Amino acid sequence: MRGTYSLLVLLALTILLAGAALFIGPVSNPSWAIIQGIRFPRVFLAIIVGAGLAGAGAVLQGVLRNPLADPFILGTSSAAAAGVVLASILGFQHYFMLYFMSIGFALTSIFVVYRIAQIDGRAPIQTIILAGVIVSLFFNAAVFLFFSIFYRESFTMLFYLLGTLTEGSWTLIGISASIITLGLGLTWFFSRELNMLTQGETTAFHLGVDVETVKKLLFVVASTLVAASVAVAGMIGFVGLIVPHMMRMIVGPDHRLLIPASALGGAIFLILADALARTIMPPLEIPVGALTALLGSPYFVYLLRTRQNAGEF
Amino acid sequence: MSTLLLEQVSFHYQGGFALQDIDLSLPERSFLALIGPNGSGKTTLLQLMSGLLQAKSGRVRLENQPLDTLTRRELARQIAVIASDQYFAFPFPVVEIVAMGRFPYLGRLQQLTHRDWEIVEEALQRTEIEHLKDRPISQLSSGERQRVLLARAIAQSPAILMLDEPNTHLDIHHQIGVFRLLQHLNQEHSMTVVVVLHDLTAASTFCRTVALLSEGKLVKTGTPQEVITTETIRSVYQANIEVHPSPTGGFPQICYGNQD
Repeated sequence: MRGTYSLLVLLALTILLAGAALFIGPVSNPSWAIIQGIRFPRVFLAIIVGAGLAGAGAVLQGVLRNPLADPFILGTSSAAAAGVVLASILGFQHYFMLYFMSIGFALTSIFVVYRIAQIDGRAPIQTIILAGVIVSLFFNAAVFLFFSIFYRESFTMLFYLLGTLTEGSWTLIGISASIITLGLGLTWFFSRELNMLTQGETTAFHLGVDVETVKKLLFVVASTLVAASVAVAGMIGFVGLIVPHMMRMIVGPDHRLLIPASALGGAIFLILADALARTIMPPLEIPVGALTALLGSPYFVYLLRTRQNAGEF
Repeated sequence: MSTLLLEQVSFHYQGGFALQDIDLSLPERSFLALIGPNGSGKTTLLQLMSGLLQAKSGRVRLENQPLDTLTRRELARQIAVIASDQYFAFPFPVVEIVAMGRFPYLGRLQQLTHRDWEIVEEALQRTEIEHLKDRPISQLSSGERQRVLLARAIAQSPAILMLDEPNTHLDIHHQIGVFRLLQHLNQEHSMTVVVVLHDLTAASTFCRTVALLSEGKLVKTGTPQEVITTETIRSVYQANIEVHPSPTGGFPQICYGNQD
């Protein structure tokens, strides 16, 4: 009951903040055209990207049995971004190829990280960070290689990579919104299995979970969520780390509550972060991805230290 | 109800270690200890018996049905296993961990029924952890965690309960507590119990049957008195020990020999 109540409060808060955010920006008395044409898509984008990244974070943490995993730290975001950059540099006009490559790269990177990081059936945070750094370096290098070859297109792409919510194409926003909604729904459907997986794969097996199938499915869904977010907004880091951690303190670790709570919390977090990014240095707008990374890195260090001191790793 | 039968079961890892031609019958209400030196194949055998590993040749049958023809859920309703690797990074409350034992009985989006919660309550009572019910598992001591895992296995209402070294990390009081509970489940609830043990004295005190493994082969199966003898243990473990009947009940007991 308490959980359902928390979800309702989070939902109300999301709607309230989304409404308020329409009136926040460099122009203090915005015309209807600005609100409808610029701010509405932006707030809508903040909601779906926040939900997608935070949901993906919660899922990855469960499957890797590590509450400090995050799509940005794991290198999944870099991989998805490399897919997007490569697709647009190669001049693929069709959206299908853009998403196909982004999802494909993200999925590959997750499997690579999983294979590198796993020791005796578990992925300790040290090896996750290490594997994530390696994968990020690789895909970032790939992106810079593309840039050096196709330097004319590079500048707009660079701004995109830093993570912004300025995408104006409703087609792209619509595709990502559909993918993220479907993905989160599917994940919720398997949230009980996810609870079992946090107890160890052998334990989950003996409790009746089809471990290999569920694990693969969740990896695919998580990378799709990340790719759909990155395709419209670039690399916005640490949402998937900060939000599920805060939500676990509110609704507890049960994924049946944690996943919807993280989705709503991610939306709230990104609406707020973007409002801040738009207004903190007028008339300049800073990329929201830079802001979340500035906030997220110290938060990560704080979590790492407190958990190490508590002997959890 | 729970006759587990291993016929000529063989298994080998890529690295080379192999279990060879294991024949073992586990009648209803057995209480079996798997013993043997490090690397003799105890855990591998347990994993074959629980369906986690598939035999390369030979058969494992449960009630005449080959184990690999059962679905995961069917298997989990028959066999509960407390594995030796456990993770406590997520702060689930104890009662939710125990309620996970009902998973194999639930449909995809089905909630736990009144009866399921009664079974969970009963498991909490039997393991004497009702007072810990709302505490996050991450905050408990290892003795308390062991009892939570036992409670979850009990809530699974299995015919067979398998445990890999249930007494490591426990002080002598909690060790006795765990074994007494296993004996109770075995005698009063007709649950078959299989434990992998390093502690030979515990094996002979609490288990009715002992199976001794050495280098992937089953050397001897029988009562503790038949298997745990000075001669057998000395030769299999390459250790200078003597076995004497315990003054408290005549169970074979290990005494270290003169090591000079």
